[in-house]
Amino acid sequence: MSVLERPQLEPEVTLVELVDRVLNKGVVLTGDITLSVAGVDLVYVGLRLLLASASTFDRLQQEEAA
Amino acid sequence: MNGGWYVYGVADGDREIDEPKGGVRLVREGRVAAIVGPVDLCEFDQLDERLNDLAWLEQKARAHEAVLDELVGEGAVVPLRFGAIYRRPDEVVALLRDRGEEFEADLDRVRGRIELGVKGFVDRTALENTLARERVATAAGGGSGRAYLERRRVQREIADEASAILAEAARTAHERLLELSVAGTVSRPHSRELSGRPEEMFLNVAYLVQAKDESLREEVAALGRAYAPLALTFEVTGPWPPYSFVGSASREHAAQ
Repeated sequence: MSVLERPQLEPEVTLVELVDRVLNKGVVLTGDITLSVAGVDLVYVGLRLLLASASTFDRLQQEEAA
Repeated sequence: MNGGWYVYGVADGDREIDEPKGGVRLVREGRVAAIVGPVDLCEFDQLDERLNDLAWLEQKARAHEAVLDELVGEGAVVPLRFGAIYRRPDEVVALLRDRGEEFEADLDRVRGRIELGVKGFVDRTALENTLARERVATAAGGGSGRAYLERRRVQREIADEASAILAEAARTAHERLLELSVAGTVSRPHSRELSGRPEEMFLNVAYLVQAKDESLREEVAALGRAYAPLALTFEVTGPWPPYSFVGSASREHAAQ
């Protein structure tokens, strides 16, 4: 078995990848339900903002530590 | 505690859970069974705000995935979208009664199959540098204004050429992978900000394949080797529960 044929190690599932599936795909239940998720775009906006602010936060922390 | 029942997915009616975790159990009705677990409704109130809380979202999304992952290995599982909660088990029974036929059709479609995600990335600078080197023999020299304009024109042409190569690579990859799968779906690539990667994502697709079939992974590796000189890379994620191939939205894809 060559290196290329060996199964690759799975990269850890990223939150974005996971959210892409659990919030964007799968059977949607509507109607007489107590709670369900709608407005996925809202999630994406929030997630993008949070990712941006998280990286800003990291940078700030690094600067403080320096 | 303000209790409710979170519905993770739907399985065959004769399904058993060997070692239930976190109170996960099956609610059966006819030939289908809902995979449910107890939750505190208070943890899900003001959902719009919660969804923007990254730590909360990560914990809940991973919990959702973990329950389905346990069950997807053997037997069929139809994943539901995140955050479906009923107050009482009899409401879950009513759901299964109302949509039983649809769930049965989904279970039949995904039985013995798994979802694999494939993403294509490009180091666009490296690609454009490669294209520029190919043109070096014909490039205009000198430092005059005319030469500057000529260089700008060539740069624009190279950028266009790179975009055309990516579109063609995406089309070729999808065609070849679709041949090896039961069905496929194309999603919008993630922005660099969202993917958190220095490369640009140009392909974001998912395929429904037989559980033990490795041919799609092998084909992705072959695509990677073929496109490596153009600074393109491909990645496979999964196996996933078949999120992208259930529900009415998947009908059109499955028909392809």
